[in-house]
Amino acid sequence: MSQSSQGRAKCEISFTVNGTLETVHVHAMDRLLDVLRHELGLIGTKEGCGEGECGSCSVLIDGMLVNSCLIPVLQANGTKVITIEGLATDGRLQVLQQAFLDCGGAQCGICTPGMILASLHLLKKTPQPTLDEIREGLSGNLCRCTGYMQIFDAVAEAAQRGATT
Amino acid sequence: MRALPADYELVAPRTLPDVLSLLAREPGAWLPIAGGTDVMVQYSAGKLLARKLVSIWNLPELRRIEVSADEIKIGAGCTYTDLREHKVIIREFSLLSSSASWTGGIANQNRGTIGGNIVNASPAADSLPALMVYGAELLLVSARGERRVPYANFHIGYRKTQLAPEELIRAICLKRQFSGYYAHARKVGARNAQAIAKVCLASLGHLVGGMVDDVRLAVGSVAPAPLRLSETERIIKGKPIDPQLMQLAKGAAAAEVRPIDDIRSSARYRAAVTANLVGEFLEQLNTYGARSENSQKVLARWNDLPPDKAAEEILPCCGSKAWASEMAAHRPILNEAALLAASDQDWNILPESDWLEAFRSHPRIGDLHAPASAPPQSAAWSSAEQQKVGAAGEDVKAALDAGNRDYEQKFNRIFIVCATGKSAPQILEILRRRLQNDEKTELHEAAEQQRQIAHLRLKKWLSS
Repeated sequence: MSQSSQGRAKCEISFTVNGTLETVHVHAMDRLLDVLRHELGLIGTKEGCGEGECGSCSVLIDGMLVNSCLIPVLQANGTKVITIEGLATDGRLQVLQQAFLDCGGAQCGICTPGMILASLHLLKKTPQPTLDEIREGLSGNLCRCTGYMQIFDAVAEAAQRGATT
Repeated sequence: MRALPADYELVAPRTLPDVLSLLAREPGAWLPIAGGTDVMVQYSAGKLLARKLVSIWNLPELRRIEVSADEIKIGAGCTYTDLREHKVIIREFSLLSSSASWTGGIANQNRGTIGGNIVNASPAADSLPALMVYGAELLLVSARGERRVPYANFHIGYRKTQLAPEELIRAICLKRQFSGYYAHARKVGARNAQAIAKVCLASLGHLVGGMVDDVRLAVGSVAPAPLRLSETERIIKGKPIDPQLMQLAKGAAAAEVRPIDDIRSSARYRAAVTANLVGEFLEQLNTYGARSENSQKVLARWNDLPPDKAAEEILPCCGSKAWASEMAAHRPILNEAALLAASDQDWNILPESDWLEAFRSHPRIGDLHAPASAPPQSAAWSSAEQQKVGAAGEDVKAALDAGNRDYEQKFNRIFIVCATGKSAPQILEILRRRLQNDEKTELHEAAEQQRQIAHLRLKKWLSS
């Protein structure tokens, strides 16, 4: 690996994360996931499989749900990113977060940030989802603790409480 | 071993010509990356051979869907989500929108692109059999210009394609010629989302006078590249669907595939599933044929009526007289798809007063009596649609009654919801939510519900 000793130059990436404009000095091929966690200290976004299968690194880019492990950070330049840290306001939990707590939708917690962002994406598109729509909306997010039922309950509960307002 | 970001170069030119000139300068040196759902997986695993990548994600030239009278041109950079949400694709190329819906999960559908799926050339890709049966053509582009190639010849072996090193797929072109076809797509895998198919089938069939006039079958995961079942098609074509044909077709399909044993399934299982999927398709095509024969009888009779009689007959499907006369003016309408499309087109452009007229033709949810002015057919349909509401408990009925009155007070009209299949508690939930709407949002939401009611009623009318 003679090339790697020298390495490519870093570049400057500017994007809005949870409403704050951030500029970082990173490699273009750094994964968005790593930049969020290591450069910006936003460790709410978790790494599970690292290959787009499990959804635990889900974030929103310009309102679209994505797996941040599959995004080279250059492709996030100039976008608006929302992570789990961007949901609560003034120490008050967002409706989905509260519903996950109330319904037992979180156990070990690794999948929870991704589940909540996938749920938020679903409810923005479909404010009153059916159970099938909830299942489909969360089908890219794996949980090995809950058996999913409490998570589906939490999303339905949040929909009733009005999750996106 | 995991890849080191410092070993890789990634650039993001702003326009397609900039990308193409980069590819032309050093053919084969640059790997295009779109949504990253394949390339980044390789990269993270340390298996990506290319060290120089060029981003084509979100290039406007690749993210367009252009619809003309006889063709739809889907930009190669369109995502699965784009395909799932495009009206013409949903209506005329449903094999593509449904296979998009079971590719990956939502996050991967927001990033994975149709062009990327084609170039990645996995034999198991969910959407490729659909492109094959629709007879897609690919528009390839390089700094030297464009060329069109049939998709059927594009894959020349396992993970091998005709794409030259300096070329990109610009668009996928589909002819709009399948309106009378029955379309059936099916994936068999451990689960739909995030699982690679053991077998996936895309199929199209067209019947004339009880005979199979045209049939197109393509299968994924059973050969080094997506496979068209030409021999099976030849056996089916020109014949009526009966048990003997089903046996022959299933046998031919099992013999025609070239599956392998791997971690996901065995060759024997894949061949057996392919045969069963072809059988399932033929059964459904047969049922559809019987149904559409009936629809065609209804439409043929209706097409010959004088305009006022035709409008009068179709009026109960919607309730707006202006809609009914527009529909009559659309004749001749030859099949269900054209009928539903005409209905949407007429409904969406009506002025508010005509929408309100349609709303008034319904009984209040929970009232089983239609307005006296409603035609008897409309009243009968209303009571069938609200069947589940009748079965609700007294407390829910009382809450619905109160909600209806609040709604009428706020919006000065009755609450319209497509009640078919919905229980009283579900309707109550929807009613309570919509009570929060402002007037303009609510008017459009009610109109959308009425559009759906019209679809269901038109289908009932066709099967009468």
